[in-house]
Amino acid sequence: MDRTAAKPGLYDPASLVPQLNGTRCSDCGATFFPPLQTGCEECGSTGLTPLKMEASGTLHSVATVHMHMGKDIEAPFTVAEVALDSGPIIRAMLAEPADLNAIGKRVSALWKTTKTDEDGNEVVEPYFTLSTKGDV
Amino acid sequence: MPRPLSDFRTVSVIGVGLHPYQRPSDTPYTQLGVTAIRQALQDAGIEWSEVQSAYTGTATTSMGLSRLMYRHLGATGIPMTQVENASASGSSAFRQACFDVASGLVDVSIAVGVDKPLNFSMPQSAAGVRDLMGGRVVPFTHFALLANRYMHETGATAEQFAQVAVKNSANGALNPNAQRQKVRSLEEVLAPPEISGPLTRLQCCPIGEGAAAVIIASDDAIQRLELNQSRSVQVLSSALRSETTYENENFDAALTRDTTAEALSAANLSASDLDIVELHDAFTVEELLYIEAMGISTPGQAAAELSEGQFAIGGRVSVSPSGGLLSMGHPIGPTGVGQICEITTQVRGEAGPRQHKGARTGLAHMVGVGAVCAVHVLRAA
Repeated sequence: MDRTAAKPGLYDPASLVPQLNGTRCSDCGATFFPPLQTGCEECGSTGLTPLKMEASGTLHSVATVHMHMGKDIEAPFTVAEVALDSGPIIRAMLAEPADLNAIGKRVSALWKTTKTDEDGNEVVEPYFTLSTKGDV
Repeated sequence: MPRPLSDFRTVSVIGVGLHPYQRPSDTPYTQLGVTAIRQALQDAGIEWSEVQSAYTGTATTSMGLSRLMYRHLGATGIPMTQVENASASGSSAFRQACFDVASGLVDVSIAVGVDKPLNFSMPQSAAGVRDLMGGRVVPFTHFALLANRYMHETGATAEQFAQVAVKNSANGALNPNAQRQKVRSLEEVLAPPEISGPLTRLQCCPIGEGAAAVIIASDDAIQRLELNQSRSVQVLSSALRSETTYENENFDAALTRDTTAEALSAANLSASDLDIVELHDAFTVEELLYIEAMGISTPGQAAAELSEGQFAIGGRVSVSPSGGLLSMGHPIGPTGVGQICEITTQVRGEAGPRQHKGARTGLAHMVGVGAVCAVHVLRAA
């Protein structure tokens, strides 16, 4: 059974642990996630190169969402802002509920299977966790 | 080199009008808008035929909506343009109308905000932008994340956020044009339903429908039309900025800080000169963040100063005497124009039971997703 990405292009579902497909500007060195294709937000350069980013960092903020109108999205769930070790602050799902006390703690991503597609593949997303072991 | 508004002709607000903000109804937007415009014309004491250009702030109703509305005042053939800038649409329409008059292109212009909450769209999908969240972070969660970060940094509490809604509910209860007119206690504001993070329902603004209109004129027009000079309110400055990269600093606060600094500097004022501030309090946390970003409070102090009553009507500076987005409401297009209506009414001393005594100088602030920030500073004649 293979893994497939819930958000194609943002990460490689075949990798052992999640890594993020970011961008580095070859002119000014700024790094971005989600990746940019058209031009650098910092300096406007078109010299953008793919950058594999480790999905680890510190928890910058967190919020548990109690109500959501979007289709296929069921509340409650917990959203994290993660200051990646490689620079940018990104938003991602947090595997477990967390409160303010978790801000500043180390987090890293593990694969979470959100569903199985019609070919029997596991559809995976990186979910960050405060835990240092096990699956989410 | 860029030049400030004050390098051009003096621009003054001469008339304001509103259609009450309300829950979505069957009322056509044309009727919402025309109600506000007729009131503004009456307030200014001029006829529609004197208005030489029109800008309509709108984001959620329809493309090309202006003429279908203005025709009910008599079609005069004037230029009319929709201005869309998300929540800052009305503020941006006001800015364009000010430019028309300041530049000398026209002597009298009108900025109208009108909307019904029919079509909300975001550009990410059309831009091909994908992220890990896939629609799971809507504005209330964006601000819930900010709220928790702010609590972590400052030690502020959920009760202190809720106090913003308590204050603004008391103001909204004195405003007949407000969508929420009930005074709310701290217990009521903190009560479920919980929405996201520390935010409860009453800490999130209602999005409904409504309209606001502001008529702007040059000194020449005020004299030619023999208008009451003492009721005209001068637009001292207009600043509109867009987000840049801020080295992981909170961009909402940074953008507000930079835009407010530009507007105050262009008006030769500092934050301590302000009597009235109408700001983008779509969610309670924003009021505290922006008060600090504007330099009204030092960082981390806004919550304590709010508790002391410093931002109430009659306090050090009245913040959102209209009730703000939290109580007056946030019908999108009208909101930024409605702020100008409130500041004009306050600095004229005509705000009745919600009058902030001695008000002479006011600042209007809106942010729009994208993000942009618009700030205007006005002063009594």
